[in-house]
Amino acid sequence: MTAPKANAMKKTTKPAGAVRPKLAQEGFFGRSGYFFARALANLRQNVFVSVVTVGTISLALLIAALFLLVYVNLEGLANGWSDKVQITAYFDKEPAPLAVAALKTTVKSIPGTKSVTFISKQEAESRLRARLKGQESLLEGVNADVLPASLEIRLDREHRDNFAVTHYVAALKKVQGIGEVQYGEEWVQRFNTFMNFFRLMGLLLGSFLTIAVLFIVSNTIKLTIYARKEELELLSLVGATRFFIKAPFLIEGVLQGALGALLSLLALAGCYFAFLHNAGSFLGVNPAGAGLSFLSPLHLAVILGGGVLLGFIGSLTSLRRFVNV
Amino acid sequence: MIQLHNVGLSYQPEAAALSDINLKIPKGDFVFLTGQSGAGKSTLLKLLYAELTPTRGQVLIDGQNLTRLSRSQIPLVRRSIGVVFQDYKLLPNRTVLENVAITLEVLGWGQRDIGKKVFHILKRMGLESKLNSTPLRLSGGEQQRVALARALVNDPKILIADEPTGNLDEENKEAILDFFKEANNRGTTVVVATHDRRVIENSHRRVIRLDKGRIVDQGRIVDQGETGSAPEESAEVADDSTQG
Repeated sequence: MTAPKANAMKKTTKPAGAVRPKLAQEGFFGRSGYFFARALANLRQNVFVSVVTVGTISLALLIAALFLLVYVNLEGLANGWSDKVQITAYFDKEPAPLAVAALKTTVKSIPGTKSVTFISKQEAESRLRARLKGQESLLEGVNADVLPASLEIRLDREHRDNFAVTHYVAALKKVQGIGEVQYGEEWVQRFNTFMNFFRLMGLLLGSFLTIAVLFIVSNTIKLTIYARKEELELLSLVGATRFFIKAPFLIEGVLQGALGALLSLLALAGCYFAFLHNAGSFLGVNPAGAGLSFLSPLHLAVILGGGVLLGFIGSLTSLRRFVNV
Repeated sequence: MIQLHNVGLSYQPEAAALSDINLKIPKGDFVFLTGQSGAGKSTLLKLLYAELTPTRGQVLIDGQNLTRLSRSQIPLVRRSIGVVFQDYKLLPNRTVLENVAITLEVLGWGQRDIGKKVFHILKRMGLESKLNSTPLRLSGGEQQRVALARALVNDPKILIADEPTGNLDEENKEAILDFFKEANNRGTTVVVATHDRRVIENSHRRVIRLDKGRIVDQGRIVDQGETGSAPEESAEVADDSTQG
């Protein structure tokens, strides 16, 4: 080709589509439609990797959710037992009926009191008779005067530990007319030691489980992003900003996390209604009494939010490593 | 205009990949970068689209000093440069259309305009029947044309190609070079790294020779009006390339 010809060509040939269309708005909201579409297309185009990620997230969260379900139910069961922490305050002399109300008010004013019931000498005798039904001969010659009148006191949940109970009893003993106070000291101590151990174990296991879930999920996401590092590299080489590269991946992470969490909750519900639902009767405990129940809406929301957060944070930290534009 | 002043680059402290590179490529020029494997051709090209940063010296593209740009400014420079990578860098799980569309998506074009523009360029490349194929189903020549389409679809100011004819047969080489010439005729500055002697011989363009990371021959800067006709230079290149 000669020079004049080349020049002529330069003048006549216009680049096709040289007039650029108006650019879409910058920033996340301006291009959110594109980012969402790209994230969905990525999920579709990387089916295997997406299924592995969602599967891993749902399995990890299912294990955590099962642990939470068992923990919450055991805690409920233990709380049911702690209702048995009861203090009985015996009167040296049965108070006059008019004085009973005043005494009850005094006891109720001690911090930690949940309920107070007055048991008169008469009532104490009838209770004893009821308990010894069939062996009434043992009670021949016994009259109501032998048994002392008493107050049966239940404490609220925050005042059932060893220290609080001892403190409460000391305050109770100062009330005029109250002689002996019984509260099954040894049982309360053993029960509280068990509860502390149970909570510590729960905390430890829960922490280990949370760390394991974080580790597994973040590594899975890291591997899936590593598998697509060529895509990240190419995007940066054609002039994509860091935000443009990251946004679809972050949305993908959030969608995978949410989907994984939903699947884990469905699987948990499946396990619960197929088996755990009846576990109470297998264990010989009344399900209602034992509190073997499904997770509360708050717990379910926490698991769902946890999934979303896992997907987002996992993607964000992995992208930081691979997007160095 | 591409300018490199005293550019040096070392991957390791005592092994310089490039040394004392001084180079000017005027706007609208068509330049071949040649030299043996390991001479530093790819490294020099990577400096032009800021994939690498020189350890010494300065790289200027249209007056913009790439070595002084912040990380957030680099994407803007890259948007005006089309690159045909040696390994094509096509995304295997996206269709031909989607691969080419990436360049325009980054620029924020709307889907309808992207569709029109991509179809237009792929038709020019003879790939209109392969729009929905994935790259792995294409031949080497077709993959090369997709990579070229992706580099050219936004009418870049500069087109950079690293060994674009490496694995192609004669017919495909000719076709690819014709696309480069066409882009150059539209005003795009073209820089092609190749060690293919015949490609250089047949093109009659400026040839810059590299050896062990240094420029050993700047080639003659051809005046814009002379583009496509430099008989003396082609003879010189033929001689040079027999040595290289």
